[in-house]
This record gives sequence, structure tokens and C-alpha cells, in this order.
Amino acid sequence: MSAVLQSLVNQPYKHGFVTDIESDIAPKGLNEDIIRLISAKKDEPEWLLSFRLKAYEKWLTMTAPEWQNVHYAKIDFQDISYYSAPKPKKKLASMDEVDPELLRTFEKLGAAMHERAALAGVAVDVIFDSVSVATTYKQKLAEVGIIFCSISEAVHTHPELVQKYLGTVVPVGDNYFAALNSAVFTDGSFCFIPKGVKCPMDLSTYFRINTEGSGQFERTLIIAEEGASVSYLEGCTAPRFDTNQLHAAVVELIALDNADIKYSTVQNWYAGDEKGVGGIYNFVTKRGLAKGVNSRISWTQVETGSAITWKYPSCILRGDNSVGEFYSVAVTNNYQQADTGTKMIHIGKNTRSTIVSKGISAGHSNSSYRGLVRIAPTAEGARNYSQCDSMLIGDQCGAHTFPYIQVHNNSATVEHEASTSKIGEDQLFYFSQRGIGAEEAVSMIINGFCKDVFQQLPMEFAVEATKLLSFKLEGSVG
Amino acid sequence: MSEVTGTGYLECLLESWRAKPAEALSWLDQLRAQAIDRVSTQKLPTKRDEEWRFTDISPLTTLPYRPSQPDANLRIQDIQHLFLDEVKSRLVFVDGYYSPQLSVIVNPALVMGNLPALLSTHATALESHLGQYARFDQNVFTAMSTAFLRDAAVIIAPKNTVITDPIHVLFIATQHEVTSYPRCLVIGETGSQITLIEDYVALQQAAYVTNAVTEISLAGNARAQHIRIQRESSQAFHFANCVAALAHASHYQSVSIAQGSKISRYNLDVRLTDEAAECMIDGLTLISDRQLADTHTCIDHSKPNGTSHQQHKCIADDTAHAVFNGKIIVRPHAQHTNSSQSSRNLLLSKTAQVDTKPQLEIFADDVKCAHGATVGQLDAEEIFYLRSRGLSEKSARNLLTYAFGAEIINRIPVTSLRQQLAQAVLDQTQSN
Repeated sequence: MSAVLQSLVNQPYKHGFVTDIESDIAPKGLNEDIIRLISAKKDEPEWLLSFRLKAYEKWLTMTAPEWQNVHYAKIDFQDISYYSAPKPKKKLASMDEVDPELLRTFEKLGAAMHERAALAGVAVDVIFDSVSVATTYKQKLAEVGIIFCSISEAVHTHPELVQKYLGTVVPVGDNYFAALNSAVFTDGSFCFIPKGVKCPMDLSTYFRINTEGSGQFERTLIIAEEGASVSYLEGCTAPRFDTNQLHAAVVELIALDNADIKYSTVQNWYAGDEKGVGGIYNFVTKRGLAKGVNSRISWTQVETGSAITWKYPSCILRGDNSVGEFYSVAVTNNYQQADTGTKMIHIGKNTRSTIVSKGISAGHSNSSYRGLVRIAPTAEGARNYSQCDSMLIGDQCGAHTFPYIQVHNNSATVEHEASTSKIGEDQLFYFSQRGIGAEEAVSMIINGFCKDVFQQLPMEFAVEATKLLSFKLEGSVG
Repeated sequence: MSEVTGTGYLECLLESWRAKPAEALSWLDQLRAQAIDRVSTQKLPTKRDEEWRFTDISPLTTLPYRPSQPDANLRIQDIQHLFLDEVKSRLVFVDGYYSPQLSVIVNPALVMGNLPALLSTHATALESHLGQYARFDQNVFTAMSTAFLRDAAVIIAPKNTVITDPIHVLFIATQHEVTSYPRCLVIGETGSQITLIEDYVALQQAAYVTNAVTEISLAGNARAQHIRIQRESSQAFHFANCVAALAHASHYQSVSIAQGSKISRYNLDVRLTDEAAECMIDGLTLISDRQLADTHTCIDHSKPNGTSHQQHKCIADDTAHAVFNGKIIVRPHAQHTNSSQSSRNLLLSKTAQVDTKPQLEIFADDVKCAHGATVGQLDAEEIFYLRSRGLSEKSARNLLTYAFGAEIINRIPVTSLRQQLAQAVLDQTQSN
């Protein structure tokens, strides 16, 4: 491994500052009282409290899953603060009213992609620790009938919609971390695109964990009615702390007839230092229900951060002719671990799904692709194509593939391929022969490797992801 | 005996195991004693075990199976139809017990026979190999087999011996509601070459359990062709574990055909323990009715420059259920490994199902690994093409199904066996 590549890979984390904002933090620990406290603080209706308590009861009976290919010390759920809000809390109408300290935080976020995106006309919902601090372009969206706000606001302004859809795709007892999230979630984004509306701009949520020892449990709910379409972006960063922080989010997407939801994530949580100390545990449940005919759900993710990433954005293709897509790039370095992939559950007739997954491992990291393609007996003529490629940089890392393929209908066609490769000496030689230095060569090779996925990202994100990747891997090749 | 934690099936079998010999333990007795200790601490796997999540063997626990008893009544006429023309040397086991009157050993260059016969003359070789590859600390079926280890087919190919005619090891099931423990040990010494046909057959449609273990050890530059045919009765349960350990530059080629049994499970572990070892592993599962056939393979590359190629095909008809799990491990120092794997599955009926999981675990960076999996029905365009050439829909389908299976069958180097199996595929496709 060349020194250039080494230094390339090992750039320090740029978003590791702490914003000194006074927070309103709930005492550590989890019990019924805390859940009642969260619910009371947010002035929630009775049905939501009972939803939380039901989830909590369910969670108590469950045990943390152990099947995943990641290793970490047991999480002490009593040592986490389940509510942390920036203190000067008041209703905010525009970005100008946001606490200047907070704004400076966004200034500091070097790339400040979301800021710039906001200027470029993207509606942004900012979630700081657990609470939504600002939503931009609300007015403009409201004109076409789109509801885009924090979920706690939606609970008050559109309770019927939240109650109708919350927990329908990811039930409270779906899995250990989803149950926990259902019990203690504090905020998140809510988005409703009414019938026939094509969302005029990309919607975006920006997540940041700021307080040490707090967990972030946000909940996102996106509903696209008949013929609606929306493209949604999500970005995440966190300051550096030596302790591990838990991020257990739940994202639910619902697409009715002919609706189209595109969900893109660039995840850059703090990954821990080069010895693997600290970092975020990113245990997320994301699931989309393609409920109506001809509906489409597309997940695109670029996972570069987190000490441990463990998530499987999934599609339940219930409507006939519905389409599910999953495009993923997962980059791990140092002691990061990623176990990620997708589930495509084909139920409706002529449902189609595409999976493209690219894993890049460097340092001592391990990345796994774990995917499920399930063709139910009812899924006549279903079609799936999966491709998962891994690239290894260095001989201390690992790449793993666990594709589950379950076919219960003979008219279905399922294809899966996987390959593993490395950046070869001969490739680097070829580049240097053409006058391109090792550093640039590696960046080009990796970008070429990930091209299929980056193409799926909205413009600003694609630029950002490319940059993120090159500094993430700085110094690891050679 | 220590506490039994097994289910009815295991308890029933363990009861019949007489008390362990108390003193003067020979190495074989010690091996058995260790295995019986392991059996009593394990349980029959259920669908909750990841390795068994698609294969429900609970029907096994409802029937009280006894160990099989030796039966010397079988005559050569009864089994003549199972013989293969190319074969000169044959070992026949009836319900797991060696039958000298049915066996033929002609090749003096080869050490061949059953375990008790070779125990005194080849003690060192047997001690250093038998039970050393098929680990019984994790696998309850291997533990059972080792605990009941009394007889086994043993083939030792001495240094630089090249045997061209295939060796046929026939395991015949004749009894009802019994469990038999066929066992096979193949030792290929440096530079040797052999071809082995491991054949599991039934003489009647009975319900019984076969718990087979095969160990193959190849020394440097040794070559082995291993053909495995499982054509048990359609009521039978077949559990088999095969382990092949490959030393420097050795070559192992395996073709396994799974055709019989109500529920069958075949675990094949190939360990490339030294540099430049090579293996080619092919399999065909051909099932119908309510059969379940599960194949788990694991190819473990632990040293550099290894090569492995695998192709597994399943043809499932009616409400049959085929399972394939192929794992390839490339350990940290196994640089320059070249490995490919393909799982292709053909569903002939609406109700047939396939669960396949090709799995890669790679810890070395300079390797070439690829796998692929497909599941589908016959290609409509191919059928159309054949119909445009005047074939009926039915014969077009039969021809394509046959061709799908023939790709694997054609890799069997024994002509008469190839023909028998090709006929079996034809019979199955034509029954539709």
C-alpha cells in the first residue's frame, strides 16, 4: 500500500466539533416514566402515548439480535439519555430565526452541503439531536398541498394522517431497535404528497447528534398518494466523542397507486478514531411499502460513517407491477463494521426489483452485504436482478456476501451476481503511465466502481458523495 | 452416561448404545467415546438454527428408529442391476454393514476393504485419518456416526499409484425403520490418482434413516474424482457429511447427484489446506413430489494460489423444495485465490420452491472471487425456438430440462453411470 494512499484514507473526521448550545436533556435511563415524560414534553395525544407504551412493553420482551456479522460491546440502554433538545426552543418560521450558534454549526460543517442545497432551492428539515429545529420552504410546498414538517408538528396539525400510517410498514414489534424507536422516538420528518402532485423540489432532512451520551431516535414517515412523486434526501453527521452513541431510527415509506418515492441517504456519522474508539452505532430500520399498482420505491445510500452500520432498507412490493430499487455504496475504514443490504419482498404480480451494492473495505474494517429476495407464491412474473461487488484495500480487511434467495413461484426470474476485486498494481501502473498520480488514480478507480450508484443520487449529493469517498479512503491504497 | 438432552430420536438411539468400554481403550474406542460425549450434549437441529432454517427435520423425531442389524441374506442376483460395467473393484455395504460375499476386490495396487479387516494391518494410517476431518463437536449427525463407528469402507491409494478403473462403493438399504451409519474413508497418498463412486440405493420403498460420513484426504499432488449418487427410497431420510482435505497441489473433483429421499441433507466441506490445491465441485438436485433436498457446501481457502470452481443445479417439480447454501471462505493469507461459484435453479411447477444462498467470506485482498445465482423456469424463447423447429411443446420442455441437467451429468467420467442418470432425468421430465 503506497504512502499516498495511506494518507488519503486516513483523513481526520471533519465534522467532529461540538456546538455549545444549552440542551434540555432528560435524565439517563429508560422506563415508563421517561416515555411519559417525552410524550408530555411534546404534548402528544393519548393514542401516541399508548403507541409508545405498547412498543415499550414489546421491547421489554425482546432480546437484542445477534445474527448480524458485527461485534460490539453490549449496549446499556439505561445509560442513554432519550431526550435532548437545544434549549432556546420556540417556533421557528425561517432559517433566520434559528439560534445563531446553531447556524454557525452549519457553517462549520465544511461541506455545508445542506446549506448550499437550501440556497439552491431544496427544502430542508434540520433535526438537531432529537428535535427538529428548522424547516425551510414550508410555505412554497404548502401551496401545492405538500405537508413537510417535523413529525411532532404533524402529530398536532395532521393527527389523522400520522395515526393512519404510523407503524403500518414497520410495526412496533418488528425488531428490537424498531421497538425501542417506537417507544422513545422524539422527532423526525413527516412528508405527505397528495394525489397527483409531483413535488417541485427535492426535500431534505439533516440529522445531527450533538450531545454526548444521548441517543438519536428519529422517525421519518413519507406518504405519496396516487400518482404523486417525491425525491427525499437525508444527511447525517455527529461530533466526535470517545463513547459510542446509538442511532436507532425508523423510516417508513408508503407509495400508493402510480406513486414514486426516491429516498437518498449520505450517512457520515462519526466513525470512531483510527483505533476504533468511539463512533456511532447506526442501527436503522428502513422500509418502504409499494402498496399501489405501478408504484415505485427507490433507495440510494452512501454509507461512509458510523462505527457500526447495520441496516437493510427494504421494499415490500405489494402492488402489481410495482418496482423496488436499492443502490448502495458502503465504505469502511479502520475498525468500522458494516452489515448492510436490502430485502425485496415480491408479493404483487409482475413486480420488479434491482439491487446494486458496492462495498469498499480498507484498514481493519469488515463489510457485509446481506440481502433477501423473496418471491411469494402470488408474485407471478416477478423479476429481480442483484449485483453486489466488493473491493478490498489492504489485507487486513474483510468483505462478505450473504444473499438469501427464496423463490416460491416458478414464473419468477431471479438473478444474482457478486464479485470481489482489488485495485491492482497493473491498474495503478496504467494510470501512472498516462501521467496520472496514484492518488488521483485511486479516486478515479473507486468512483468508477461506484458509478452505478452515484448516478442514482441527485446532483448535489453525487458531488458530495464523490468527495466524501475520496477523503474517506485517502491513504488506504497502494 | 451423561445427561441426554436430545429429542426422542437421539434418546432412542443412545439407549441402544451399550455402556462405554471402561478400560484398555484403543484409539478407536477413545474416538467413539469422545463422540458419544458430544452426542449427549447436542440437540437435533431445528429451523431456528441458521444452518437448518429451510430444512425442517421434525418428521424424523416422530418415528422410533433403531440401529440397523447385520443381514447376510442378500444375494448377488438381488443387486446385480446396480452394478456398473466399468467397475472392477466393488465394496458393498448392506444397511451399513460390510458384505464380503457381494464385494469384489481385484486391484492389488490398492489397499481396499472394510475397517475391521484393515485395522491391524494399517493401524497408523487409519488412526491418523479416521475421524480427523469430519469434526463431531458441532455436528450432531457426524457425532452420531462416529459414536456408532464400527464399520467403514476404507480405500488407500499408495504413493504414485494411478488407478484408472473406478471403485464402486455401494451402500444398500434393505430394512424398515432403522438407522444405518455408512462411513467411508479415502486416503490418497502423494501423487496417487483414484476415481470413487459412492452410491446410496434402496431395494424397496421403505422409511429409514441414513447417516453417512465420508472423509477424503489427499496428500501432495494426489488426484481424486468423487462421484456421489444419492438415490435412496422416497420415504427415506438421508443425512450426509463429506469432508475433503486437500494438501499441496492436490486436485479434487466431485460430482454429486441428489435424487432420492423424502428429506435429504448433504454437507460438503472442502478444505484447501495447502498451496495451489484445486477443486471442482458440481452438483445436481433432481426432485419432485414432496421431496426436500438440501445441499450445503463450504469451500475453505486457507493457503495461497488455490482454485475452486463450483456449479450447482437444482430441478424441482411438483411441491418439491430445493435448498442450496454455498459458502466460500478466503482466509487472510490465501492470496491469489481464484474461486467461482454458480447456483442455477429450475422450477418446473408453480408450487415448487427454491432457497439458495451463495455466500462469500473474504479476508484477503488479492483474490478473484465471483458467484452467481439464478432461479427461473424454462426460457419461453427457447421453447418457442424448438417449437418453430417442429417439436411439440412437451418435447421442447423435456429437451430443455434434460439439457439443463445433462451439463452436470456429463461431467461424470463413467459412461454407464452417466447413461443411467441421463435416463433418470428423462424419466422425470417425461412423467410430466
